[in-house]
Amino acid sequence: MALPGRPPACDLCGQDAVFLDRVRGCHLCGDHFLRDMEGRVRHTLWEYRLLRPGERIAVALSGGKDSTVLLHLLRKFLPVPGTVTLTAITVDEGIAGYRDATQRVAREMAARLGVEHRIVSFRDLAGSTLDAMVAAGGEHPCTLCGVHRRKALQETAMALGATAVATGHNLNDEAQTVVMNCLRGDLHGFTRSPVRCSAPSPRFASRIPVREPADGGLRRIKPLFRIPEKEVALYGMLTGIFHDLPECPYAGTALRSEARRMVDRLEYLRPGTLGRIVRGQEELATLCRGIPEKPGKDGDPRGRPSTVT
Amino acid sequence: MKIRLQDGTARTYDGGAARVWEVLLALDENPAGVIVSRNGRVIPEDTVLGRDDEIRVIRVSHGG
Repeated sequence: MALPGRPPACDLCGQDAVFLDRVRGCHLCGDHFLRDMEGRVRHTLWEYRLLRPGERIAVALSGGKDSTVLLHLLRKFLPVPGTVTLTAITVDEGIAGYRDATQRVAREMAARLGVEHRIVSFRDLAGSTLDAMVAAGGEHPCTLCGVHRRKALQETAMALGATAVATGHNLNDEAQTVVMNCLRGDLHGFTRSPVRCSAPSPRFASRIPVREPADGGLRRIKPLFRIPEKEVALYGMLTGIFHDLPECPYAGTALRSEARRMVDRLEYLRPGTLGRIVRGQEELATLCRGIPEKPGKDGDPRGRPSTVT
Repeated sequence: MKIRLQDGTARTYDGGAARVWEVLLALDENPAGVIVSRNGRVIPEDTVLGRDDEIRVIRVSHGG
């Protein structure tokens, strides 16, 4: 074993590394890590043509690390200032002791980036907080939250004239969703592409699953879907926009928590597992083009954006 | 070696010099789900720590 002391050196410049990329087998310093991750997100935006001139993009901004990094990067990558408009939307579910802190971060972040910001609440839209809905019994908190959050985001985005909703889903979220669909035996879910993409870059069109929004409305875009959660958090830390926030009190009992533990463990034991799960699902979605989508539990088309982050 | 966790608690690792990932596994933390800093600077998981080092462990996995 090497002697205790300095971290390993960056493979590109020899400075102290901050990150070991176990999939590619290299060390990166802070500057090279930031450049590398920005390059990968920029490539996803280009490959899937996620930002289109003239559009208004509604960005789901919970105030957590993923959505905060997403807004930061989208603001940074706007093709030409003024050609794409961003509006951040924060949904206040009404979860005591949890949402106040993240909402404050969301407000500060939108203000710092000069992005228009709307806050909508379950209380205003559904007449009740999530805490009250859970206390009344019935569905699992995450199911209730997902249905109402999707509705709140969709309705607010459409009222603002947005054509797409951007969410901060990362590679871990997407791999967890694939595993959850397997565990539920949800074949339709299993064959859905992680990204709604009606017009990919011609160079990649043959291998990108093409999906029009089921309701002919909003596109769902996930510019971070190829970035592991740890790297999103590291990017946030290195750029000073990461905030150590409380965890949702309802998260521990969700099926997603089980899926998370499973894929995180596999990723550690076999680096690259997350990417392989999502790439495999993309290939399957491409092969399954044309299979009609199943309506969601709430009767809404699956075109509504999922809002796990 | 002293390890500060996110919830404000501290733990010790008495196994002598070790790589970050070895310390994390001893604490039952998955190295793929945490970021570690020493003296305020983020370090990779294969950094060798000394017995007098103090590290901070930040869990990055949240949400429902």
